[in-house]
Amino acid sequence: MSKNVVILFGTESGNAEFAAEDMAAVITDRKVQVFDMSDFSSENFESTNLYILICSTHGEGDLPSGAVPLYESMKSLTPDLSDIEYAIFGLGDSSYENYSRGSEHIDALLTSLGASRIGEYGRHDAQTGTLPNESAVTWTQEIIAQS
Amino acid sequence: MRLARASILSRFWGNLGVITLSSPSIAIVGSGPSGCYIAQYLRKAFPDSRISIFERDPVPYGLLRFGVAPDHIGTKAIAQQFERLFKRDGVEFIGNMEIGKDKSLRELRSEFDIVVIATGLNEDRSLGISGEYLEGIYSAGRITRLLNSHPNENSEGILVGSNIAIIGQGNVAIDLLRLSLLDSEELRSFGVTRKIADLMGKQDSKTISVIGRSPIEKAKFDITMIKEISKFSNVKFTSDIDYTKIIDEDSKQRSEAINFLVTHSPTNAKRIVNFYFGWSTLSFFGSNRVAGVDLVSKQKKMRISVDTVYTAIGFQEAKSASIKKSEHTSGKFDLDRGFLDDGLYCVGWFRRGPVGTIPVSRADAKHVSDAICSDYYSKMQGKVEIR
Repeated sequence: MSKNVVILFGTESGNAEFAAEDMAAVITDRKVQVFDMSDFSSENFESTNLYILICSTHGEGDLPSGAVPLYESMKSLTPDLSDIEYAIFGLGDSSYENYSRGSEHIDALLTSLGASRIGEYGRHDAQTGTLPNESAVTWTQEIIAQS
Repeated sequence: MRLARASILSRFWGNLGVITLSSPSIAIVGSGPSGCYIAQYLRKAFPDSRISIFERDPVPYGLLRFGVAPDHIGTKAIAQQFERLFKRDGVEFIGNMEIGKDKSLRELRSEFDIVVIATGLNEDRSLGISGEYLEGIYSAGRITRLLNSHPNENSEGILVGSNIAIIGQGNVAIDLLRLSLLDSEELRSFGVTRKIADLMGKQDSKTISVIGRSPIEKAKFDITMIKEISKFSNVKFTSDIDYTKIIDEDSKQRSEAINFLVTHSPTNAKRIVNFYFGWSTLSFFGSNRVAGVDLVSKQKKMRISVDTVYTAIGFQEAKSASIKKSEHTSGKFDLDRGFLDDGLYCVGWFRRGPVGTIPVSRADAKHVSDAICSDYYSKMQGKVEIR
């Protein structure tokens, strides 16, 4: 049976949220929920869900402010996530150092807590002058097809 | 369609105002980042409301379109989020309409249940020193409007020489520095018109002095903005930072970013950028056109010869602003929530002053949108109880 999908976005300018809405819209064969990472706690992870994360990069390769509370709570509570599957899509701008590093902080932490990443690591480069929506939607469809 | 539905339903509900209460009509004045972000939040809160954005320019997005540097295409792309407001989410854009001039705020408030002022602060702060009005001295706002093809800005009288002073060290000043190092073709590739690209893009030889009043530890630029400058390999960078006096972590990072530029630049180059920290600008001198600038740091004085000056020391409310904050902060206002009067709110730079980047404006819009919703629902509660 395919898992329900929970999309978590971590955003600073709204681009990740904007893309998350479009990603949710193309998942039609199962239940989808979309949460701002700042409204999601590390105790909310459930093994019956597939987690799709989309997260931007702020400042010098830092997490966007919207992702900080979840990151900090996972780091201090260290929940066992060994039965959690997730896929992740990072936003960044290759004209800066630390391109797309924001999401990598979350990815590393999830992995260290035992969660398993599925599919390819998605990326979007703002230097293209486009928003991530289109590439994130295509990537989401691939993830969903594989899961 | 909406009117027809409202009038049919109002026969059942009488004059209780249930229809207007469940979907207040909303006018937003100003379509910059703050105006558009609050439109997003209010649209989510009130899916059926009539939401209209009034803008004095013919086109939307304010400083995102005319203030953000043209080469920051990642930031510019945020406009694509806002486009959806108008294309899909039923938010109405009314351009060429300056509230307080073409239509009074009073009239607008009589037409809409809720009015949100998001007009920003769009006049360059002036230095208030002698020589400020000499030829060759241009405000950052004017230059970024020209670079972004503002329809009501003109390049009359602008002549960019090869010895430039930039007054200020905030992100706008660093934008002007970076843009001053792009050649005409590069500027054109970011959509700058040929005329402006040719004015600013001469790169044969150039000296740019970036002058800040604050010492390095208090310099206003974001470090990423300085790191971005390191892409120019054929520029010689210098600075007057006294590295022996750098102690705390933050000033260390700031000075290291500058030091990286200095140590990685060639000893000889036709283009030179000098960073001066802790120098107040005393005055400009010259007969018609600016010939130099006098600076002071503690008791020391310094004179730099220049032929062009960009001032980038922040923004303020224009004297000619058609909506003035002081006119709305006398009654029962509560600026912390963006509340000015019943049904009248403000957001963004108008509310909190000219500081903060686009993400800060988004958080601000969320904050004021929450206040609007909470006021609205407590008001609605009152009405329901009366019924």
